[in-house]
Amino acid sequence: MKLATRENFYRAFFHNTLDGLGYCQMIFNAQGQPINFIYIEANKKFEDLLGLKNVAGKTVTELMPDIVESNPEWLEVCGRVVLTKKPKRFETHLKHLAKWFSVSVYSSKKATFFIMLQNISDKKRSEKELKNAGIAAQNVFYDLDIEKSKVERARAKEEAILLSIGEGLIATNEKGDIIIVNKTAEKLLDLNNDEILGMNFFRAVSIEDEKGKPLALEKCPIHLALTTGAVTRTITSNPSYYYVRKNKTRFPVALVVTPVILDGRVIGAIEVFRDITQEKEIDLVKTEFVSLSSHQLRTPLTVIKWYTEMILNGDVGTVAPAQKKYLEEVLKGNQRMVDLVNMFLNVSRLELGTFTVQAEPTDIIKLTQSAVKEQKLQVKAKNLKLSEKYAKNLPLINVDPQLFRMVLQNFLSNAIKYTSNKGVLSISVNKNKDSLQIAVADTGCGIPTRQQDKIFSKLFRADNARGTDTEGVGLGLYIVKSIIDHTGGKIWFDSTENKGTTFYVRFPLSGMKNKEGPKTLV
Amino acid sequence: MSVKFCYYKYMLGNKKILIVEDEAQLRNALRDKLAKEGFNVFEAVNGEEGLAGALLEKPDVILLDIVMPIMDGMTMLKKLRADVWGKNAKVIMLTNLSTYDKIGEAVEQGSYDYLVKADWKIDDVVAKVNEKIEE
Repeated sequence: MKLATRENFYRAFFHNTLDGLGYCQMIFNAQGQPINFIYIEANKKFEDLLGLKNVAGKTVTELMPDIVESNPEWLEVCGRVVLTKKPKRFETHLKHLAKWFSVSVYSSKKATFFIMLQNISDKKRSEKELKNAGIAAQNVFYDLDIEKSKVERARAKEEAILLSIGEGLIATNEKGDIIIVNKTAEKLLDLNNDEILGMNFFRAVSIEDEKGKPLALEKCPIHLALTTGAVTRTITSNPSYYYVRKNKTRFPVALVVTPVILDGRVIGAIEVFRDITQEKEIDLVKTEFVSLSSHQLRTPLTVIKWYTEMILNGDVGTVAPAQKKYLEEVLKGNQRMVDLVNMFLNVSRLELGTFTVQAEPTDIIKLTQSAVKEQKLQVKAKNLKLSEKYAKNLPLINVDPQLFRMVLQNFLSNAIKYTSNKGVLSISVNKNKDSLQIAVADTGCGIPTRQQDKIFSKLFRADNARGTDTEGVGLGLYIVKSIIDHTGGKIWFDSTENKGTTFYVRFPLSGMKNKEGPKTLV
Repeated sequence: MSVKFCYYKYMLGNKKILIVEDEAQLRNALRDKLAKEGFNVFEAVNGEEGLAGALLEKPDVILLDIVMPIMDGMTMLKKLRADVWGKNAKVIMLTNLSTYDKIGEAVEQGSYDYLVKADWKIDDVVAKVNEKIEE
């Protein structure tokens, strides 16, 4: 390339390149220190970038008077490049322009040098933003860390609370594997946490029923909670579960087992239990006491009964009508007491589990009719309308006739007692596909809605029943429910206050389950 | 062994009833009632007296309490059944226990009736005695 052509080429490059280019000469003081520089020539871009015009022939301090103060690096770097002839690049921020620049300085001969300027404000901004984003992210991580440790602390606290509960606590996951065992449970079961953690509950803990028979898996409360979501709650009385310790000794427990439900799905089960050995013993003593004292009461009651009957019969002389009336009251009171004693005995037998169930093929309709017949007098006295409906072709069904009669008697006498004069009673015996259902309906005072859940509880009487009949003690339905529960039946009711009540009993066509026991109910 | 009998009324040809009961009040009530109904009534206060009296008098019906001192009703029944006459004697167990085991035992010993005193009217006890005699 010819010289002129080459010069044209460089000039074109100098003026058209996208970066700012300036050609300068350094000015030194007497000590040889750079103190200023003169722009010999600069392209348009250079002037635009620095916001200057016609820079050629002017010194930098003339164009940017604050530069030595605000950006001393300009003079310092350029001076060093001129002196050393080693090119340098630096980044600088011009405050008055609010811009960042990348500055390359190159010197080839004597005191002259080139400055190449690039606006890197955008890059700097991105860098800053990135840095800020980094800081923000760091802050978030920091906050997260704090939150995490807070959660962990709360969790540890909750776990400590769970583990320190005074009742035994075992929690399992959805497969029945043990995930939590608290200290009380460890102590009660004589097991170590690490022995059973992660083990399947059904393998880790053996449960037995009252008679020492291992509980079938499908009856195990934890299994029920996991598979059906059922809540099991037992109290001191039956049904009782026994836990077996490692050394094969066992103890009765009262327990509450609930499923753990998350988003409508069972994800585990929690069991809270306690040793009720002592309560059981007290309960037994109490029940035995009731049984014994009831027996003892029977002899004097018989004495009152028989002598009063003989006087009333005229065995020892004529009885005046007014005397007869009073003696009949004595007899009535006596009968109430005999009935009470019988009821207490029944309750103690049901609670001790010492009663027997002897099922035999029974004509249910005949039995029902005879129970109804027994109460005909009372029905007539209150002028009640009584309807009976019996299934046709009902086969003989295996029930204990005495217990079955007791259930019917209770239903009927309640229906009569709590229905006012001229009310309607109906009794029906139906056969469904695989079950026998008996219903006793009345148009009586009904059971208040708020008390319906307590109606089968021992010694409970609904408020309106107390008003209607002052003699009841609240044992009849408790006894009936216990009988039905012990013999494989179902009992329930529908009731509306002031409209009436219907009690239902259902047994499978196979009838009542037999039960061995030394005592009969009376 | 001395056995004492309390004779209330003794009429030739009438049916004999033996009451074995330790509770005097109940024993007296039964004695008065049954005597009034025209039975010859004998009384014993425990199983030992009852057994001796039964074998001596061979009553038509024995009313037998279960829980008694010295010898209880079940033991007396067992011993009675071991006797040639006693094995077919008519016995009504009369008690205030209602224990299934005891009923089972009584049935095994050939006694077919078991009355819970508190649940029975005294007239019904008399009716039961008459029924037993008719058997």
